[in-house]
Amino acid sequence: MHEIKIAEDLSVIVLETAKKENLSKITKVNITFGQLIQIVPDIFRFAFDEAVKNSVAQEAELTIEVIPVMMKCINCGNDFQVVENRFSCNVCNSTDLEIIHGKELFIKSIEGE
Amino acid sequence: MKNILDRNQNKANEVRNLLASRKVLMVNIISSPGAGKTTLLERTCEALASKFRIGVIEGDVTTDRDAQRLKKYNIPIVVINTEGGCHLDSHSISKVLDSFDLDNLDVLFVENVGNLICPSQFDLGETFKLAVVSTAEGDDKPDKYPMLFREAKAVLLNKIDLIQYTNFNHENFTRDLKKINGKILQFDVSCTRGDGLEEWFKWITDQISHLTSEPEAYF
Ligand SMILES: Nc1nc2c(ncn2[C@@H]2O[C@H](COP(=O)(O)OP(=O)(O)O)[C@@H](O)[C@H]2O)c(=O)[nH]1
Ligand SMILES: [Mg+2]
Ligand SMILES: [Zn+2]
Repeated sequence: MHEIKIAEDLSVIVLETAKKENLSKITKVNITFGQLIQIVPDIFRFAFDEAVKNSVAQEAELTIEVIPVMMKCINCGNDFQVVENRFSCNVCNSTDLEIIHGKELFIKSIEGE
Repeated sequence: MKNILDRNQNKANEVRNLLASRKVLMVNIISSPGAGKTTLLERTCEALASKFRIGVIEGDVTTDRDAQRLKKYNIPIVVINTEGGCHLDSHSISKVLDSFDLDNLDVLFVENVGNLICPSQFDLGETFKLAVVSTAEGDDKPDKYPMLFREAKAVLLNKIDLIQYTNFNHENFTRDLKKINGKILQFDVSCTRGDGLEEWFKWITDQISHLTSEPEAYF
């Protein structure tokens, strides 16, 4: 249920932004999750709605984009998408890897008026 | 783009720097409920408390039962009750670090809340994560919770004494584990019967000694 804590942290950032930018209403929140974060979108949505109840963001529309896990091979430089949890280079088999995508927890944009 | 967990990450970095400056190794222990984290700590205290100055942070949802089990070793223990929360975060760790005399500590074990997903998403500022899995839970854990096994430096496969009563396939487990993390270390142990613990003690001793004997950095 890490969705709840993450949704709360998101709501704090959203409300801080509303205040800083003098917005009376937040209309849209667009976020990106890496697949490794294992967020269940429905739980996250529910938790976010709870967190922004009775605030300027209570009607905000939340869009969640999930991006797949991408690694770079340190041995041969190959970039590849991880399928079925296979964390080894699909060219040279090396397990010396660097993560490129998959652990994101980004706010892409916050829209309001 | 702003990272939602920036707040947690910044605090974790602070904790990591503080512990590094005091040469304290911090191990974030993550498992399902009942895999054997507290039993592992009992065995580890018995074997190493005379050699190293050990401290423990117990993440517990509502009670202090695990802390009570460790009292007999006369080590500093702090309980963090998460009040229903399913994981510890760096802010709660940072707050309780004040209760430890860091200059007189070699290693700090953190028993995270029993859960395989949530704790692996929150950096506490640990030196490394240790995953504990028991044979009674089945061999599918790596494939189901890749983030934990990707992040952990070592995994302790506990309750090896029970393997003959389960359908746990050791070969499949190790194969899946290595597929996710080719560098992870695996220790097969029984924290109640004692199998494999010597190897674990030796390894953790090396980790602690390595850190505490590092020369001071000069700038
Ligand atoms: N058979 C067997 N039982 C164990 C072993 N390690 C722990 N246990 C038992 O498993 C139960 C849960 O252990 P505990 O350390 O409290 O798990 P925790 O929730 O991860 O802290 C206890 O009853 C332990 O005695 C083991 O290696 N073999
Ligand atoms: Mg316990
Ligand atoms: Zn390669």
